[in-house]
Amino acid sequence: MTFATRLLAATILAAGLSTAANAKTLVYCSEGSPENFTPALNTTGTSFDAARPVYNQLVEFARGTTEVSPGLAESWTVSDDGLTITFKLRSGVKFHSTKEFTPSRDFNADDVLFSFNRQGDPNHPYHKISGGAYDYYNDMGMPDLIASLEKVDDLTIKMVLKEPNAPILANLAMDFGTIHSAEYADFLLKAGKPEEFDQVPVGTGPFSFVGYQKDAVIRYRAFPDHWAGAAPLDGLVFAITPDATARYAKLQKGECHVMFGPNPADLAAMKEDQNINLMSQPGLNIAYLSMNVEKPPFDKKEVRQAVNMAIDKAALIKDVYQGAGQAATNPIPPTIWSYNDAVQDYEYNPDKAKEMLAAAGVTTPMEVDLWYMPVQRPYNPNARRIAEMMQADLAKVGLNAKLVTYEWGEYRKRLQAGEHMLGQLGWTGDNGDPDNFFFLLGCAAAREGGQNLSKWCNKDFDDRLLQARKLTDKAERTKLYEEMQVIAKEEAPWVTIAHSVVYEPTRKEVKDYKISPFGRHEFYGVSIE
Amino acid sequence: MPADPAVVSAAPETGIVLAPSGTPPHPLRAFWKHFAENRGAVASLGVVVALIVVAVLAPVFAPHDPYEQFRQFVLTPPAWVEGGSWDFVLGTDEVGRDILSRLIYGARYSLFIGFSVVAVSLVLGIVLGVTAAFFGGFYEIMVERLMDLIMSVPSLVLCIVIVAIIGPSLTNTIIAVTIVYLPRYVRLIRATAKAEKIKPYVTAARVIGASRFRVMFVTVLPNCLAPILVQAALGVSDAILEAAALGFLGLGAQPPTPEWGSMLASAREFILRAWWVVTFPGLAILITVLAINLLGDGLRDALDPKLKRS
Repeated sequence: MTFATRLLAATILAAGLSTAANAKTLVYCSEGSPENFTPALNTTGTSFDAARPVYNQLVEFARGTTEVSPGLAESWTVSDDGLTITFKLRSGVKFHSTKEFTPSRDFNADDVLFSFNRQGDPNHPYHKISGGAYDYYNDMGMPDLIASLEKVDDLTIKMVLKEPNAPILANLAMDFGTIHSAEYADFLLKAGKPEEFDQVPVGTGPFSFVGYQKDAVIRYRAFPDHWAGAAPLDGLVFAITPDATARYAKLQKGECHVMFGPNPADLAAMKEDQNINLMSQPGLNIAYLSMNVEKPPFDKKEVRQAVNMAIDKAALIKDVYQGAGQAATNPIPPTIWSYNDAVQDYEYNPDKAKEMLAAAGVTTPMEVDLWYMPVQRPYNPNARRIAEMMQADLAKVGLNAKLVTYEWGEYRKRLQAGEHMLGQLGWTGDNGDPDNFFFLLGCAAAREGGQNLSKWCNKDFDDRLLQARKLTDKAERTKLYEEMQVIAKEEAPWVTIAHSVVYEPTRKEVKDYKISPFGRHEFYGVSIE
Repeated sequence: MPADPAVVSAAPETGIVLAPSGTPPHPLRAFWKHFAENRGAVASLGVVVALIVVAVLAPVFAPHDPYEQFRQFVLTPPAWVEGGSWDFVLGTDEVGRDILSRLIYGARYSLFIGFSVVAVSLVLGIVLGVTAAFFGGFYEIMVERLMDLIMSVPSLVLCIVIVAIIGPSLTNTIIAVTIVYLPRYVRLIRATAKAEKIKPYVTAARVIGASRFRVMFVTVLPNCLAPILVQAALGVSDAILEAAALGFLGLGAQPPTPEWGSMLASAREFILRAWWVVTFPGLAILITVLAINLLGDGLRDALDPKLKRS
C-alpha cells in the first residue's frame, strides 16, 4: 500500500467513524411486522405506524393531540351548505427518491386525486393491486359520501360531498387519507411491477424508507428536504420484537429508545428504573368481545345479554389489566364527548344468565368457539388470558368454549368474514370523533369482510349513526350518540370489556416524545440527547 | 435359533461370575443384574414409575380441579414462601389455578405424548424398516430418500411446518412429532435387519420353507429389538421435549389444557415477579426428561455390555 492510499483509507475510516458517532438514530421496538406500507390497504396500528414516517395527509393531527392541523393542504374552506370543501395545497413539497425512481416534480393535485381514486374508483389501474381491500375507506362510508373530487388547478382540490358530514376533516387526517406519489405509481406501472408500490413506499414524510426485513427490522433515513423542516434525528429504526419481555430487556440495555406495549406485570419495575421514563395516558380505546349475530344462538338478544352477565368483568380488569384499565360499559371511552353516564352495565350474575339461556331455548351444555388475538394490543394486554378466564366463566353457565386463534392478519380477516361465534378484538380511536367508534356497529360495516364483527345491523342504531354524521351541531349529535349507547347496551352485540390506560416507556435520553391519544407512534419532532 | 443374541451374549459373562453351577440365569434376570449395577438408572426408573402412577391416578393425587380458577388467589406463592397457603402447595398461576394440580394432570399429557409418539413411530418404523431391508430395490431407495428428506430439515422447524399446515392441537402435535422422529427408527431397523438377514439362521429358516412374512417378523425382527428398545426409551424424552417446545410456541395443546410447555409459555411475563409460575413446569419437564434419558442409558448398558465397557 502506498502512502497515499493508506492516507486515503485512514481518512475514509475516520470520516465513517465520526458520522457514526454523530448520527442520531432512534430505535423503536415495535410489536409486529406491517403487512405493507400503504395505509389505505391496512387496518392495524402496526402497519400504520410503519407507514407513517414516510407519508403525510392533506390534514393531520398535531402530534399528541386530537386537533386537526394543516398537512399537505395549507388551508381549506368549507362552503356554507357544508357540501364543498376546497383545499389549497402546499407548494414546493418534495417526494423521496429510491434507487430506481427520482421524482421529476413536486407534490400537486394529481397526487391527491391518485390517492383517493385508487380507493374509490374500481377502474383505477391501481385499484386491484395488493388485494384491493380498502376497509377504512368503505367502512367510513366514503363511497357514499364523496360526490366528486376535482382538480381546480395544480394546487387546488375541490371535494364535493353528497351530504354534510361533520367528521370529514378528522376522517381525512386518518391514515387512509395518506397522499402517495402519482408519478411513482406511473413509473412502476410502466416498469410492470405495480405491487412494489405498496412494498417500497415513496412519500413526502419526514423520513424516507431504506429497507424492510420481515419480522426483523424496518429502516428509515431522515429526509432533509421535508417541507416542515428536517427531523432532528438522522435515522429511525423499527426493531420488530413481538415479545413484551424481550422489548423491555432491550429498552433496559439501551438497544431501543421507545417500546410498544409494556407488560402490565413489568410496570412497577419500570417506574423504579432510573433510565426509563414511563409515560401514561387513559387510552382512547375499547376492548370488546363480539358476538356474531349470524350464528345461532347469538342471533337472540337474550342470549347475548346472558353472555354479558356470565362474564366476571371485575376479575378481568384486576388480573389481566392489573389496574391499568377500567371496565367498559359503552362502546366509546369516557374521555370522548357524548359518553352516556346513565347507561348501566350488566351485573355479573351467572345464575340469572343460566335462566336467561334456558328461557331463550338454549340447550346447555352447548359448544361455542371463543377467539382470541395472538398478539398484545394497546387495549388488551393479554387476549389469551382473557379468553381463558371467559372460558371458565362461560362453562359455569353451560357454554363450553373452544379457544381459537390464528396468525394476526389471518385472525382479523376471518373475524371480518364472520367465521367466529365469540371473538375478541378492540379499537383505538383514530380521529377523536364518536362516529369513529360507533361506525364499528353500523350497517355499512356489517357487510362480509367489514369491521362490524358482530354483523349486527339495527335500524334504530344505524339511522341515528347516519343522521349524526350529517349534523354539525354538537349538542344534537351528543343526544343521538347517547341514545345509540342505550340501544347498543340493550341489544348487546358486544361484551364491552375494558378501556385501558396506555403506558409508553421511553429511555431518559429521548426528548419530546408524546403519547398519541390514537395509539400512534410518531417520531417526527422527537430527538435524542 | 438364538432368541436374542444381545442378551445371550451377555448371559455367559454373568454365568461366570454368579452362576458357577453352569446353568445360565434367565435372560430377564441377567438383564436386571446388569441394569441394577447402574444406580442412576434404577433411581430414574423409580422416578419414571412414580410419574406414571401419578399421571394415571391424577384425580386421586391432585388437590384441586386443574381448570378451576380461584379468582381470589391469583398468583399465590408456594406454601413455604411468605404469603403462601397450604391449599396451594406450589402456588397458583396467573388466573388462580392450582399449579400442583396442573402439573399432575400435565404429566398425563406429556407422558401420553411421549409414549404414543414412540409407539406409533415404532410400529411404522418396524414396518417400513423391515420391508425396506427385505424387499430392497426401488422401494428401499424410495423409503430411504424419504427419510433423508425428513432428516434434512431441523426437527423443530419441521414440526412447526406440519402443525402450521394441519392446525394446532394435541393430536396434531403427536402426528407432527411422530413424523419428525420416524427416520431414526426406520434407518436403525433397516440397518439391523439387513445385517441379520444374511446370517446362517435366516438362510436356514428360508430353507425349511418359512414364508417371507415369517422370516421378516418372526425370525429376524426379535433379533433386532435390543437397539430399537434403547432408541425408543430415549425417544420418549425427545418427544416430550419437542411437544413442550411446540406447546411453548403456542402450537401444541391449546389453552386451558395443562400441558407443561404451554404452562411455561403463558407464564413467561411473570418470570421476574412470580418465579413459581415459570419454575415448576420447567422443573417438571427437566426431571421427566432427565429420568427417561438416564433410564434409556441404563437400558443400553444392560442390553449391550460391550458398549458399556468401551
